[in-house]
Amino acid sequence: MANHAVTILIVLSVVLIGLLIVRPSLMAVPGGKILAFIALFILPIAAIALGSAIHLKEAKSTDFCLSCHTMEPYGKSLRNDDQTYIPASHFQNNRIPRSEACYTCHTNYAMFGGVKAKLGGLRHLYIYYFKTVPEKLALYEPYNNRECLHCHAGARSFEETSPHKEMKEQLGTNDMSCLTCHNKIHDAQHADQIKLWKGP
Amino acid sequence: MAENTPQLQRRLKIAAYLLIAGLVVEVLTLYWSSPLSFMLFIGVAGTLVAVGVIVYLTAIVAA
Repeated sequence: MANHAVTILIVLSVVLIGLLIVRPSLMAVPGGKILAFIALFILPIAAIALGSAIHLKEAKSTDFCLSCHTMEPYGKSLRNDDQTYIPASHFQNNRIPRSEACYTCHTNYAMFGGVKAKLGGLRHLYIYYFKTVPEKLALYEPYNNRECLHCHAGARSFEETSPHKEMKEQLGTNDMSCLTCHNKIHDAQHADQIKLWKGP
Repeated sequence: MAENTPQLQRRLKIAAYLLIAGLVVEVLTLYWSSPLSFMLFIGVAGTLVAVGVIVYLTAIVAA
């Protein structure tokens, strides 16, 4: 729907620009100058701004991340039938939106975290298309508990469960990683051997 | 049309063609969901529109 709205805006802009190319004399009169300003400045800027918003939203989608061949094993691990794996249990039980599964857990919930995540994504695209993807993928920095606590903090299932209650401070300061105990993450190396969930 | 010199018209035409090219590329990327379309949007459509707008603004300022 948003795509169609931007398309209409672009078509309008192209038609007006075309008109100015065919009839340059229009730009000599005051009304024509305003028309030229709208067609050559306002509408293209608006089209690019709206287009950016659409593309940035699209870049959050699980399909977008998994469209890179490198990410296929990680996508498979979301459908691991073994519910003890954290990504699989989150994905299959709707603890995260399935349409934005990768982004939900791998963005940065600090200030400008979304911008940082998108810059990281741009870097990944650059490496994917123009460089060599490393054989073993790794996070840029250790997984921050903040990303888990963004949803789990305050939840009864987290707050009242041992040992979360006793370790709350260490978890909050990252002195103890959530992954120390919840250590079954993406089993990308054995993605071809895992039994897959047949759900939607 | 006193100040609408041939040089100004030529610059405005260049800006117009750049903008049309950029906007056409943008439309194509909007209907192609792929990381490559994202790159095309940023690298080609964004650049063409930015250059077109700059050419237009410099043309009217210089006129």
